[in-house]
Amino acid sequence: MSFIHPLALLGLAAAAIPALLHLLQRRIPPEIDFPPVRYLSAAERESARRLKLRHLLLLILRTALIVAIVLAAARPLVPLRGGGAHQPTAAVVILDNSPSSGAIVDGGLVLDRLRVAARSAVGRTTSADRVWLMLCDGVLRGGSREALLATIDSTRAGWQRLDLVQAVERAARIVNAQPLPGREVQVLSDLQSTALASGRADVPSGVRVLALAPGRAVANRGITAVTVSEGAAVIELSGSMVGVAGTPQPVPVTIRIGGGHRDRGEIAARGLATPGSDRSGGATRSVVTVSLPAQSLAPGWWVGEAALEPDELRADDRRPFAWRVAPPARVMATSSAGSFVAAALAVLQDGQRIVDGRDVVISGGEAPAGSHAIVQPPVDPALVGQANRALASRGVPWRWGQLDTPGVLTSPELTVLNGVPVVRRYRIEGAGSGEPGAGGVLATVNGEPWLVRSGGVVLLGSRLDTAWTALPAAPGFVPFVDALVNRIVMGEAEVAAAEGAPRVEFRTRGTDTVGATVFGPDPRESDLTPATPVLATAALGGKDRTAVLTADRFASELFSGTRRADASGLLLVLALLLAAAELGVATRTR
Amino acid sequence: MEFTEHRAYQPGDELRYLDWRILGRSDRLFVKQFEEETNLRAMILVDASRSMAWQGTPERLTKRAYADRLAAALALILLRQRDATGLVTFDEQVRQVIPARVKAGQWTRVVRGLLDTPDGQGTAAHAALQRLTALLTRRGMVVLLSDLLFDRELALAALRYLRHRGHQVIVFHLMDPAEVELSGPPEVRFKDPESALSVVVRPRELARAYADTVRREIAAWRKACRRHGIAYHHVQTDLPFGLALRLLT
Repeated sequence: MSFIHPLALLGLAAAAIPALLHLLQRRIPPEIDFPPVRYLSAAERESARRLKLRHLLLLILRTALIVAIVLAAARPLVPLRGGGAHQPTAAVVILDNSPSSGAIVDGGLVLDRLRVAARSAVGRTTSADRVWLMLCDGVLRGGSREALLATIDSTRAGWQRLDLVQAVERAARIVNAQPLPGREVQVLSDLQSTALASGRADVPSGVRVLALAPGRAVANRGITAVTVSEGAAVIELSGSMVGVAGTPQPVPVTIRIGGGHRDRGEIAARGLATPGSDRSGGATRSVVTVSLPAQSLAPGWWVGEAALEPDELRADDRRPFAWRVAPPARVMATSSAGSFVAAALAVLQDGQRIVDGRDVVISGGEAPAGSHAIVQPPVDPALVGQANRALASRGVPWRWGQLDTPGVLTSPELTVLNGVPVVRRYRIEGAGSGEPGAGGVLATVNGEPWLVRSGGVVLLGSRLDTAWTALPAAPGFVPFVDALVNRIVMGEAEVAAAEGAPRVEFRTRGTDTVGATVFGPDPRESDLTPATPVLATAALGGKDRTAVLTADRFASELFSGTRRADASGLLLVLALLLAAAELGVATRTR
Repeated sequence: MEFTEHRAYQPGDELRYLDWRILGRSDRLFVKQFEEETNLRAMILVDASRSMAWQGTPERLTKRAYADRLAAALALILLRQRDATGLVTFDEQVRQVIPARVKAGQWTRVVRGLLDTPDGQGTAAHAALQRLTALLTRRGMVVLLSDLLFDRELALAALRYLRHRGHQVIVFHLMDPAEVELSGPPEVRFKDPESALSVVVRPRELARAYADTVRREIAAWRKACRRHGIAYHHVQTDLPFGLALRLLT
């Protein structure tokens, strides 16, 4: 409680006046002869208890009357629930318009429900408040109330996932830095459990977090990812199966190919996925593989789209994908390449993955020949210097250095290499920075480059021989050589996935298309299972700072931490009532 | 007829009342006077204790003054009816006793008895009442004029004894109106003039309770008197004497 005129509280000393008067009035009363004192004594004995109570009541009433008047003069501001003005408040309204907000629940869009609450929250701000609006992109938008309301009105379901824990933590830091009496974070979200899985938000004390309780949980199924390999599209499905009981039913999936940037006509295929094969919490995962008429597709980059039948959340029912149909590489291995390489190439040739030719040359320390070369270090250490000079003359910024310590291979791009031991290797030293990503370091040992690419040349730190590394004896050796000759040496990157509106973007180098990025919603958005209030409260700051509230409670609790009302009117009414009561008691003779 | 006194003979007196023995001894003429026998012997008891010398306002009579006047008036009426009338005044002691007579000058003696009795100091009037019962040997009417501010049970015992002896007992309970309706300054110490008893009260607060107590006390006296065949009359000192006397009829 605070006061507009706190100095008036000094008047509370006047509350002692009734008691003082009572004491001061204890003067010697006049004495009068009165024969029937015995009747008087009897009457007083009978009325003593009533009189004592009456005197006490009068003392209390008079003291309370003075206190009420003094408090009214001090103009107290008392906290209020519902209605009333609030003190200046710094607030961040988090409107979660992530893809899951586009779900239809009970015939209405989730985002519409959130938008109404957001409008209510922003609409109750005053010019003394500082308010920001945060959408799923995580950007804090300031501005006038009208501007924020306009932003809310124009908000549509986005394509980015919002990590609520991080968003609340950031919002709490922002409002906590504001020198205003009130600090509040208002969370308007469907409170997906997947959005709260990243731990617990660190909310400073003094910051209130109010979250709108989620609506009813609905079932949903979405496409998580689509990958194409070996003439088949592998479609991963996930989602929340709330309320789906009994035997899982097959899910029809439609594949459409074509319509990409190189329009080649459309090819459609259908498959069935049986959901529920992998269940985790409220979410289910399943995979369906649809054969593609790969042989009929011409070499080049292809774009396709997988689609499910429409359900409550449309955003994840369709997902584009891209892949490259490449002609078999024309590969030749020199004699110094080693027997393991020759054996792997023979296998690939049998599988029609490569053909004889000189487009890609695999050598063992000789000068790189051809447009694309895969170079191993020479067997003889004396020839390392000569080989380095040959690389330099080709313009390769990498060179072999000294023999280095053994280790284990690590490669984020070539997973088949991970964990393979390397017992002998040359340290690959960079004469320059090299190309990052697809053109730079592709695999490391002990954090040092082991497989690098520069232009059309790929350099290995060890020979592909079991005396150097266990890789030739590993099951992933042939796929590694396949990737090496068909993709890596060509400078081709794997298809990347990114969050965004469903589309495919190609990466080019010069006139060549060297990669593609497929955009789509985060797979976690498909799981519409809402977090329990307990989980949400804990994740968003703990129960001492966070409250998950129904729509009505949410509306009444907004800014309630600082909402104040002038209680002087109420106190004056109370004083009037006290005065009336005092008058009644004082004039009542019995 | 009962001889009462002699007086000098006057012409016209009946000779049969002439006292021949005095004539023989002293050669002077005296006639005998006799008191007639009456049907009633009335004894008026007047409480002269200190509490009776109190008045609520100066304009009103004290209870004692009121009682004196009432007693005088009553005596006059009784004497005129040729009823033997006497007077006893008392506080904690019996102060004056005028035997009941009907002879001429009795009323003057009664009045003088009243005037000669000062306001008392005592409080234990019931003790005097008990002693009075021994004085009233011949049955008759006993009229008590008092404010009854003494122990009710003890006083009733004395009155009951009188009643038992065959007296007709009539009690006039005299009260000043200020004793019935409590009033006064906002806060006041009321002191009993007969004792050290005092109490500090706010009259306005206690007025109702006091009035109830007085009403209960009067009712208690009335009930107790009725139970013992005693006539009880509550009289406030602002009541005209005629109305007070009419209570006896």
